[in-house]
Amino acid sequence: MKNFSIWKIISFTLLAFFILFVVYPLALILYQSVIDPETSGFTLSYFSKFMERKYYWSTLINSFSVTICATLVATAIGLPMAYVLRSVKIPGSKYLNILIVISYLSPPFIGAYAWIQLLGRNGFLTKTINSTFGLNFEGIYGFAGIVLVFSLQSFPLIYMYVAGALKNLDNSLNEAAESLGYTPLQRVRMIIIPLVMPSLLAGALLVFMRVFSDFGTPMLIGEGFRTFPVLIYTQFMGEVSTDDHFAAALCVIVILITLFFFFLQRYISKKYAYSMTALKPMSPVTATGSRKLFSYAFVYGITLIAMLPQMTVIFTSFLETAGGSVYTGAFSLMNYENTIFAKDNHSILNTYLFGLAAISIVVVFGTLISYLTARKPSFLTNILDTLTMFPYIIPGSVLGIALLSSFNSGWLVLSGTAIIMIISLSIRRMPYTIRSSTAIISQISPSMEEAAVSLGSTEFQSFRKVIVPMMLPGVLAGAIMSWITLISELSSSIILYTSNTSTLTVAIYAEVIRSNFGNAAAYSTILTLTSIISLLIFFKVTDNQDISV
Amino acid sequence: MSVSITVDNVTKRFDKLTVIDGLSLKINPGEFFTLLGPSGCGKTTLLRMIIGFNSIEGGTIKIDDNVINNIPTHLRNMGMVFQNYAIFPHMSVADNVAFGLKNRNFSKDEITKAVDEILEVVKITHLKDRMPTQLSGGQQQRVALARAIVIHPQVLLMDEPLSNLDAKLRVEMRNAIKHIQQKVGITTVYVTHDQEEALAVSDRIAVMHDGVIQQTGSPIEIYQRPANLFVSTFIGLSNILKGTIKKNGEVTEVSFGDYSVTMNNIKTTVSNNQKVSVSVRPEEFFIEENSTTGIPALVKNSVFLGVNTHYFLEFEDGQEVEVVRPSETGKVIPKETPVKLLLDTKKINVFVEDGSSSLIEESR
Repeated sequence: MKNFSIWKIISFTLLAFFILFVVYPLALILYQSVIDPETSGFTLSYFSKFMERKYYWSTLINSFSVTICATLVATAIGLPMAYVLRSVKIPGSKYLNILIVISYLSPPFIGAYAWIQLLGRNGFLTKTINSTFGLNFEGIYGFAGIVLVFSLQSFPLIYMYVAGALKNLDNSLNEAAESLGYTPLQRVRMIIIPLVMPSLLAGALLVFMRVFSDFGTPMLIGEGFRTFPVLIYTQFMGEVSTDDHFAAALCVIVILITLFFFFLQRYISKKYAYSMTALKPMSPVTATGSRKLFSYAFVYGITLIAMLPQMTVIFTSFLETAGGSVYTGAFSLMNYENTIFAKDNHSILNTYLFGLAAISIVVVFGTLISYLTARKPSFLTNILDTLTMFPYIIPGSVLGIALLSSFNSGWLVLSGTAIIMIISLSIRRMPYTIRSSTAIISQISPSMEEAAVSLGSTEFQSFRKVIVPMMLPGVLAGAIMSWITLISELSSSIILYTSNTSTLTVAIYAEVIRSNFGNAAAYSTILTLTSIISLLIFFKVTDNQDISV
Repeated sequence: MSVSITVDNVTKRFDKLTVIDGLSLKINPGEFFTLLGPSGCGKTTLLRMIIGFNSIEGGTIKIDDNVINNIPTHLRNMGMVFQNYAIFPHMSVADNVAFGLKNRNFSKDEITKAVDEILEVVKITHLKDRMPTQLSGGQQQRVALARAIVIHPQVLLMDEPLSNLDAKLRVEMRNAIKHIQQKVGITTVYVTHDQEEALAVSDRIAVMHDGVIQQTGSPIEIYQRPANLFVSTFIGLSNILKGTIKKNGEVTEVSFGDYSVTMNNIKTTVSNNQKVSVSVRPEEFFIEENSTTGIPALVKNSVFLGVNTHYFLEFEDGQEVEVVRPSETGKVIPKETPVKLLLDTKKINVFVEDGSSSLIEESR
């Protein structure tokens, strides 16, 4: 019975961690949202304040409109992109695939600031267009800008989900429909789209959640167009008239909304779930004529547009600036001198340290939790499973606010420390790691462990000697992807950081706000290069396995 | 130094569902013992109780005289071969086989020696440094077997070890398993749903159904003198005929309408006019084209299979029976030929009408 208690101790430790850093902070937010600080009595005044003032509730409508538009546009690009790349032979498709992933991996707000450089008031493209056509285009800000940035940022996610589903779609289904007299377009509509629908919905939900809770992009490119996360941020962190209790109420509202969409997606996916394994997947065929022209133009065009922000950022990072946003027109490395070699600048080192520390926590906890929930199902591990999924639906800024409110004072003060940054990063990434680890464990037959036990290993020894080594390749691949997402995290870091714990994304954001575009570009380039190198390592260690996010 | 296994009145419950209720059996030292039954009969459950993957909710399991109910699996020293082999994919063949030795106090040299010896026994020495992905199903099977017996377990347990192999390899491997078991002389419990496999490898077989042992005996006993109708139909193929006992002084006959056969091995407890179920295997019929006695039947179809020819016949009441006869030179009885069927009275089995027990004296 000794081994049993080891697993029990591990379960309780993990549970304590999540209760302290997820349940308690969220409960506190919920509590604050309905408590009047003066009287300490119950009140719904914060919620009614939100409902009554158009200034507040219009942000919710704004958020919904950009989110829905961006999700639809992202689907409209990502779905055909996946289908075309799966069904038509396109030279360099392997590299296109990598480029699409890269364009997804950089944080959205970098896209926003890059597009300002291109299509903003003084943007390069704006000037070109205006001088060529004699127009007076004011640049894209507000609604259009936000939707543009989010759509280009999000379509890769839809693309990856649908591409994954298409890979599991047996071509004989397609051929069966063809033999029954259906045209290619009819087949896409009646066979392919319905079969990839669950994956499409799962991808669309992720896009929806990301867009709905992102605050960096509307902050930079939104100008007067304020979205809900911007309102939360300004209410909690703004320079004037902050109100923690009102911010808490806003957090509760956003959690309710994401919760609703989470369950809606779950319900729909369950209804239309198919288990598919392709014996003979669709294989790309050589296209001719207009079909060829159209698919080449579409795939290359979209990839080029998606890569534009990255290219802009890298290009401008080598431009000399005369302070702030004015470029002198000469090339130089001054932006790198001002960033990498700046005094007391820890943000680059912090990014790597925090990222690595968070990854270690995520990998160890994620492996243990997925093992516990998959192999030792009990009331305790069920609770653990549910708790660890919470951060999946909770926007980063809300988690940041909740953590900061909880550990700002009292018996455990963590605000301003590296610890709280690392904890927030690891909690945010945990659900993804657990899900991928659970998938890996379910691939391992329970008889593997039983074999080890029958040969004289204790349960824990068999976990260590058999399960861990068998999981390792998959877990490491997942860890690299987690690493890439963690180093580009902004929404909770921006709330939790102090000058000593600033990270790359925080530094980029701060430089953009100060219009130090040169420095921002240098930081962004460092971040992008780190992501690209990590991604190449991922492809190397996994032998070009598909990316799952 | 082989051990005996005594299963005494054990019960297995999953939540509230009782799968095995008070099952007892005794396995002799060095015996190749098979648990045979359809899927869901509880045979794997019982096997997993012996090794300790399943808890025991009642009764005891003993190795020789020691109750093992509360000994954790990893201390039971039993080797197991799994249905999917469970070869560790991240270790070479040699490392897989050495796995169970590494956490015992053996020196490196001893481990190498033991591994080499056992690889010799299962005839895969040449695969020593291969990784599992480079092995065929039969080779993986041999690795699994080597890994299980290299630790010198008291008991070897095998859970449907051949079910993932193709038909030809299955025959080859079951001979190899039998051969290796005899060589090592280890008490072995083997689980299968394949009756031919069970007949081929076992010293004794326990036929299980719904968590209950229907009959325990040697392959010959199980096949020739089944204890009840279930065993008779599960092992091999049996045609079930309805008959009536006719007692005529010292002579006991079973009558099928106008045709009766005299039986010399019917229990004396039977009564006159008792209804019985008679199980007749396809090879226990004789087909007579010009006989005056026998059960009248019509040949409906025939399949020539080389050594034997299978005939499908229909009685006057519509019942269909299958008959197997050695093929005769140049001749298959044509369709729609009226014939008479006679019975091989030494071989047929007679059961009480509901089939629950045998009325043959030699049947145990």
